[in-house]
Amino acid sequence: MSRLAEIQQQFMAYLLSDETNNDHNKCQSAMQANMSQQAGISADIRLAIYANAYRIRLKETIETDHEILGRYLGDDLFDKMAADYTRAHPSANQSLRQFCDALPDFLQQDLFFKQHPIIADLARFERRLLNAFDAADSTSASFSDLQAISPELWPNCCLRFHPSVQIFTCSSNAVEAWQALKADSTPPAPDYQSTRAWLLWRGQTRLTEFASLTAAQHALLLGFIQGNNFAEQCEQMLEWHDEQSAPMMVLQTMQTWFQQGLIRAVVSD
Amino acid sequence: MPESIIKQDFLGFGLGLRTDHFEHILQHQPDIDWFEVLSENFLVAGGKPRYYLEAIAEQYPVVMHGVSMSIGSTDPLDMDYLKALKKLSNDIQPKWISDHICWTSIHGVNSHDLLPLPYTEETVNHVAERVRQVQDVLGRRILLENVSSYLSYQDSTMDEWDFLSQVAEAADCLVLLDINNIYVSARNHHFNPLDYLKKIDPRRVQQFHLAGHSDYGDYVIDTHDHDVPTSVWTLYQAALERFGPISTMIERDANIPQFPALYDELRQAKHIAELTFADSAQAEFHTLSQSRFGHQSQTSDHKVDNKPILRVPS
Ligand SMILES: [Fe+2]
Repeated sequence: MSRLAEIQQQFMAYLLSDETNNDHNKCQSAMQANMSQQAGISADIRLAIYANAYRIRLKETIETDHEILGRYLGDDLFDKMAADYTRAHPSANQSLRQFCDALPDFLQQDLFFKQHPIIADLARFERRLLNAFDAADSTSASFSDLQAISPELWPNCCLRFHPSVQIFTCSSNAVEAWQALKADSTPPAPDYQSTRAWLLWRGQTRLTEFASLTAAQHALLLGFIQGNNFAEQCEQMLEWHDEQSAPMMVLQTMQTWFQQGLIRAVVSD
Repeated sequence: MPESIIKQDFLGFGLGLRTDHFEHILQHQPDIDWFEVLSENFLVAGGKPRYYLEAIAEQYPVVMHGVSMSIGSTDPLDMDYLKALKKLSNDIQPKWISDHICWTSIHGVNSHDLLPLPYTEETVNHVAERVRQVQDVLGRRILLENVSSYLSYQDSTMDEWDFLSQVAEAADCLVLLDINNIYVSARNHHFNPLDYLKKIDPRRVQQFHLAGHSDYGDYVIDTHDHDVPTSVWTLYQAALERFGPISTMIERDANIPQFPALYDELRQAKHIAELTFADSAQAEFHTLSQSRFGHQSQTSDHKVDNKPILRVPS
């Protein structure tokens, strides 16, 4: 190994270790041995400037990406989460935009945080909001694009969705808690009684939006996203609607999606 | 090599493009000469960041400034990152692309910090070779910026300014001098910042950064969350005297004030340049006059530090 590689490895080992690591002192001494004696501040302080900057930058990234989760946790628990996550998941990305991608899974598996599943749900919901925020751009189709297709072809029509469209499901009231905190009010007590589904997308003004989905709407959207055609989705809706109203429900829902700019294209073949 | 072949045009006086100011810029069209964009913030597929970036890049010259090239790392160069940079540069046509003379990641772990290199022959060769590869991929010269540092290595066999000069020469790249970083490092390592300026080849200096820092007495940290202090303005004037008119921008990354306050602060930069070149040769005066920045009135409660410019003791 070159001397340069050795220095870089020792520097990174020092940054990644903290007082909770057994070899922290070893990492610190190794780095001190690489440093020249300088007047003014001590080698400890010089190194600590880098260690602090490393942790603060990552913590600020979590704060920015997960503002509402931070409010839910309060300062002490947030600090614990930031320190534990940063220790468990050093950044492997060029951009800080991806640093927290593994946070929901971390919170779901961590022995401490998994005691309150709503915390992982909140983190996952905020990741989805971010994904909708900077997903790729695309033009939207309108209802007239569907009308331009001859009605006998409609049963075979499939939909292509805007890249920002996402479904979020969870078994807690995480989104309700998120909304309450966003509005500066007290979140409801955690509730794990039912599964909930939400649709997230980026609206025409580039604002991220979300709406709750009924079980039927959820099945309808999921089926279309998975490539089912109009006829297949009408049939699926028979679980909730009778034969007359099912196609109407599908058409009305699609009309709303067109208005919201959720549909990128109608495909018939 | 003659100067005209290495350097690109003087752009005038610019600001870092920050999310908080997107709307203001599109609405008010301030007469800023150019904007510097943080490449990593725009390596996303779409949405608001890309919308504003493209709208602003249509109306202003832009330059791209990155923090993740990790040019000094002993990891292989990240080709995916370079391709993403190239794609972004195809989309917004920046006047130039810069990053820092430092390392940020090793064994695939990114510190997201600009970490110092030992100033050795080995490092010069290593960095210069990688800059040449990057320039091949991007199809143009890049600019390397000096970073603030807080420690120095036993291995170093030369001063930072010699290191930067040798890399720039060997790689045939350009230099972005961060005046604040020179000041910060001078304080932390007890060197004379004028020695730094004296050793850098004026033919390669394409851009200046100005910024503020946090002064703790015994040491100084490059926080970019304050106004440009008198010490940095003073060094800026010395840099202008040494290098002539150089495209200059204020880099504010935290505690970001309203746009008019930064506009006023940038006026101070132009004012210092005008004073510096008031009696100089026709060529420098002509270059400076290409900047159209500073004629608008911006309303701001912000007080710019208007102390008289002090001479740096040499
Ligand atoms: Fe800088």
